[in-house]
Amino acid sequence: MIFRVHPGSGVPIYLQIESQVKHAIAAGGLNQNDLLPPVRKLAAELRVNPNTVARAYQNLERDGVLRTVPGGGCYVNGQSPGLLKAEKIRRLKPLATQLAVEAKQVLLSREDTLKLLEDSFDELGDSHD
Amino acid sequence: MTDLAIQTQGLAKSYGPLGAVDGLNLHVPRGSIYGFLGRNGAGKTTTIRMFAGLARRTGGSIQVFGLDPQYDHIAILERTGFVIDKMLIPSMTGNDLVRFNRAFFPKWSDVLAKKYAEALEIPMKQKFSKLSSGNKTKLCLLLALAQGADLLVLDEPTAGLDPVVTDQLLRLIVDDFANDGRTAFLSSHHLSEVERVADWVGIIDHGKLLLEAQLDDIRIGYRRIRAIGRELPTQSPEILKLHRSEGMTEYVLRANADAFTARLRNEGATVLDVSPMNLSEIFLELVGKESHVPVEVLA
Repeated sequence: MIFRVHPGSGVPIYLQIESQVKHAIAAGGLNQNDLLPPVRKLAAELRVNPNTVARAYQNLERDGVLRTVPGGGCYVNGQSPGLLKAEKIRRLKPLATQLAVEAKQVLLSREDTLKLLEDSFDELGDSHD
Repeated sequence: MTDLAIQTQGLAKSYGPLGAVDGLNLHVPRGSIYGFLGRNGAGKTTTIRMFAGLARRTGGSIQVFGLDPQYDHIAILERTGFVIDKMLIPSMTGNDLVRFNRAFFPKWSDVLAKKYAEALEIPMKQKFSKLSSGNKTKLCLLLALAQGADLLVLDEPTAGLDPVVTDQLLRLIVDDFANDGRTAFLSSHHLSEVERVADWVGIIDHGKLLLEAQLDDIRIGYRRIRAIGRELPTQSPEILKLHRSEGMTEYVLRANADAFTARLRNEGATVLDVSPMNLSEIFLELVGKESHVPVEVLA
């Protein structure tokens, strides 16, 4: 797994690491029982303070995404659907807000905007479950 | 036993009527990488020279590992690697200086010295006086890193280094220092490097500390909000700066952006956007002149 953090983005670095792990799990890049890089190694690679990486891992463990084996590293837990849905909503919320703002800006009605969204879903086909 | 590597209270230094450092209260936690930020002449180097016992304070107190540099500076130097003036004995080569310095530090490591000479690409057989300014800086850093210190205090460590070496240096600081729970204190005005590597920052201007906080807390707290509306609030403890032009109001908030945005909406304002700020934007808001480039041009 390759991590990239953007220190200038205004998003706390530990949150960036957390969301990259969650994203990788959601996208299938990380699977159950995969081993994450040790705190020290990841910190050195990213040039960030190890406390920051440790904080991200601790939060992920608290959320049930990872589990730590004492002396044996951090492993990916099985997926927890509730958590992933909350994560998806958190990701999409800004886009939804953006759409609502833009619609209001050009005076497109609520119904027409929702219709637009449904059309976009239709264009993607019925592959969602 | 305190869990602070460095602590100052009301630290002051004046040269005659000129106050260089004015009532500084710094708290540098052990194990942190602390970025000490300020413009040229803000008082960074003066502060660091007082840590090393090279300058006498005119007020307040300093504790480095609980010791006072004015009385116990030898004990502090044994545990602390300082890179301040970047001046060494001109006729000695890098290898000479390694042999020379080895004798002073009980925890000196030749293995580390060799590793850093390679990582930082330092020509160790040239006399110090013949080195380029970047290589002089690197050699000073090597000597500080190899002495096995618990604390590194670096004044503008990346000045004059190319981007590749800068990156190598940051990696060394993280890998060999922070990973062992040791502390690094670095002054700089290169905000992008500090933003990456530091977990604590202190911002100093005109000898006064304007901000000291954990960098991730700053990232969560500080927000720029642009709003349109009549009679928008101008007074609130979280407002750091307020800019107004042509019906639009821009707030720079220290914290509680969500609650403040909700309040603006309740008072009938249209909130255009709430955006996070990077360290450089925050720095400019704190110490910058009022008449800097308008935000529209930067965006």
